[in-house]
Amino acid sequence: MAIMRMGYAHVRVTDLAEARQHYTQTLGLNEVAADGNKVYFKGWDEWDHHSVVLEEGGVGLVKFGFKAQYEDDLADIEKKAQAFGATTERISKGEELEVGEILRIHTPSNHIFDVYHEMTSGQVDVGNVNPEAFPRDLRGVGAPALDHALITAEDAGLMERFLHECFGYWTAEKVATSLDPADQHTIAVWMTATTQIHQLAVLEGPQSKLHHFAFRLEEGWEVNRAADLFAMDDVPIDVGPTRHGITRGKTVYFFDPAGNRNEVFAGGYLSFPDRPMVTWTPDVLGKAIFYHARELNERFTTVLT
Amino acid sequence: MTKVTVHPTGEVVEVRDGETIMGAFYRTGYAMRIGCKRGGCGFCKIDVHDGAFEYERPVSDEVVTPAEAADGVCLPCRAVPTGDMVVEFRENSLRLVNPLMRYMLSSKEVPARPSHLSTTV
Repeated sequence: MAIMRMGYAHVRVTDLAEARQHYTQTLGLNEVAADGNKVYFKGWDEWDHHSVVLEEGGVGLVKFGFKAQYEDDLADIEKKAQAFGATTERISKGEELEVGEILRIHTPSNHIFDVYHEMTSGQVDVGNVNPEAFPRDLRGVGAPALDHALITAEDAGLMERFLHECFGYWTAEKVATSLDPADQHTIAVWMTATTQIHQLAVLEGPQSKLHHFAFRLEEGWEVNRAADLFAMDDVPIDVGPTRHGITRGKTVYFFDPAGNRNEVFAGGYLSFPDRPMVTWTPDVLGKAIFYHARELNERFTTVLT
Repeated sequence: MTKVTVHPTGEVVEVRDGETIMGAFYRTGYAMRIGCKRGGCGFCKIDVHDGAFEYERPVSDEVVTPAEAADGVCLPCRAVPTGDMVVEFRENSLRLVNPLMRYMLSSKEVPARPSHLSTTV
């Protein structure tokens, strides 16, 4: 295994104070550090130093961090990325707060992916010995961890090949114009390298854009409770609570104070490399994305940051 | 209280002090093409023909470029009029969805949000 998980999302926000309120009081993340115009957060069930970085000034994605299992994975992925034609660079240990040496990849979709093996690590909030099920003093949604993200790219099929060849990801599900691989145009892919049903999804659209990054919840009722909290805190809900046909996960989409789309996601089935890939056809795209309403709202495929 | 007039239909909506253009239209029974409602996506852009406004929160130059701003492009989800305005909605996005609200609420006050509902870090 090379890539274990999406380690962090680094996004821009227009007002750091408002964003802090959202990510700590509404979502329930813990603020772990502040450095200049950046603030760092983690969920209660994450042991690495941070999983979200907010940077004041603008809106949208700065980069994603992906944690590799072994130190040697960086050189291996570097070689594969360069062979694929992607531009890479090395970032020295310490240039990113509490992160070791980084392999920075400029992807075919014009996103920046930082691959690293080392990050300051500690314990989850319930401790590593005889832990309770959850901390008693959770705030708001009490999101335990970052889960996955969706980005857009002009060529989703190219990004699928890039993630397969360089990250070792497999495609759990896809939307394609044909069931015949030799005659299909890939509209969107949901990819992973673990039993987590998706770590990164790519939807055909503009280069370098963020659709959303998502936080994991355990149960469907927690998704409903999160939606109630968003109503209490005047957080604009985009869609939900509902279920996805793709991944079968329960979901609510909402927007942070800068307009970046967030999601809370619960459930979904397990993925394995030998499980047959699920293909959805465009005529049922509404049901694939929103299983109950069976239709897409206008915002979902066009509102990006 | 300021007024926002819609070009070319001539609809007029009264905007309360500190209220956004979007908030005033929603309060009075309209719906419009809205994205994140937080100034981040630019999905709701309208064009200002006359009048001035200020944003209640920072709006990124990446969302409304300086050239667009100079041309009168405005985000109604964040824009608070500083005087009477004339605006045009794009692609006929504005639609009256609740005529009763338009009739009943446009000239009535609503209670302020209780301060205890606010939280701070």
